[in-house]
Amino acid sequence: MNVNATFFAELLAFSIFIFITYRYLWPSFSNILDSRREEISKGLEAASESQKKLEEAEDASRKMIEDAKNEASSLINQAGSRGDQIVEEAKTQAIEEQIKIKSAAEADIEQNITKAKENLKQEVSSLVLAGAAKILEKEVDAESNKQIIDDLIKEL
Amino acid sequence: MAEKNVIDPSNVSDLTPTSDYISHHLTNLTYGWCDKTESWGFAYHQQSLFPESSCKVSEMGFWAFHVDTIFMSSILGIIFFGFFGLAIRAAKKGVPGKIQNFAEYVFEFISNAVSSNFHGTSKIIGPLAFTSCVWILAWNLMDLLPVELTNFAGAAGSGFDYFKVLPTADVNAPLALALVVMFFVTYYTIANHGLGGFLKEFINPIELVGYFSKHVALALRLYGNLFAGEMIFILIGIMFGQFLMSFGQTLWFFPGLIMNLAWALFHILIIALQAYIFMMLTIAYINLACAKH
Repeated sequence: MNVNATFFAELLAFSIFIFITYRYLWPSFSNILDSRREEISKGLEAASESQKKLEEAEDASRKMIEDAKNEASSLINQAGSRGDQIVEEAKTQAIEEQIKIKSAAEADIEQNITKAKENLKQEVSSLVLAGAAKILEKEVDAESNKQIIDDLIKEL
Repeated sequence: MAEKNVIDPSNVSDLTPTSDYISHHLTNLTYGWCDKTESWGFAYHQQSLFPESSCKVSEMGFWAFHVDTIFMSSILGIIFFGFFGLAIRAAKKGVPGKIQNFAEYVFEFISNAVSSNFHGTSKIIGPLAFTSCVWILAWNLMDLLPVELTNFAGAAGSGFDYFKVLPTADVNAPLALALVVMFFVTYYTIANHGLGGFLKEFINPIELVGYFSKHVALALRLYGNLFAGEMIFILIGIMFGQFLMSFGQTLWFFPGLIMNLAWALFHILIIALQAYIFMMLTIAYINLACAKH
């Protein structure tokens, strides 16, 4: 163990290496690690953000599907009720039409009956007149006997 | 100290006597001022590449440099800090590569140690902790190289018969680190409590002893652990070298290998632990200097 001038040389060498580390190595390593730390934190942030966005998009799409389903079912319901309504309307219309036709037919029949009655009366009166003429062998004056004939027709 | 027993380089591979072997392992490659010739030069008979002075290591005074310590610590610093520099340069945005991952892991480890133990504000404490931890770890790893490596290299003709690869086992290196720590501790004490606050700590003069011994102990703890680790490798080498010599059976190679391996595995713990302890104590001392009393 002998201390000699080597000590100074080592002192100088150590000082130089400390200076190099102080000026170059240490700040460079700090910068590299700091920038990496920043990068990683940024990356993590971006990842969580995109995760959030994904969740939002999922929610939105779920909502859209839900809405579409609701709309479709309401449309189906609407269509069903509309169909029912149409059928109902058609039914009432048909019934009305039926009633109308029926009453028309009834009126027609009534008319025909009265017409036939009228014709029959006419026929009967002419027949009565002809029969009376035959019985009396002479021309019956329709005008003069009108009262009698009308009474006869009324009795018919 | 061991320099008295510096052996002749021609006998480098001779493992006897034991004290020569040990002192050879503990002697640094030295370049210094020789009083006898009044000149600078490498110590006598330590290497064969450069001109040498006639002074032995033990004859050189304070003005001597341990060339191996300075070279190894600088090279290791350049390699290790260069690695981190390259990792930063290769760093790209997005997913990091393996090297970048490793470098960032080391940085974060030290950065966490600082932020969880230091509660003041300081720009230098992070770089200081990082530099000391990484550099000491780099030094200490050299302890895992075989103790005979540089001696074999010297015997094989590398030109350097004395070369210690472990800077931590040279007390100058840890002491220099501890002095820098002491400088920052003093600086932050004065910056946070004023010169008066700093001097007030030493109303009881015994505190002065504590103040210096704290930092000397910081250096010697590191030095002692690694020196002892190195010593045990050397002793294992001697023991089985002697067996090999005495009994002449290559069989003795294997127990030596196993013991070396066992100690190396245990020593990995010490290597990392001492670097970590030095860093943590540095942080703790500076935290204490910044703390409100």
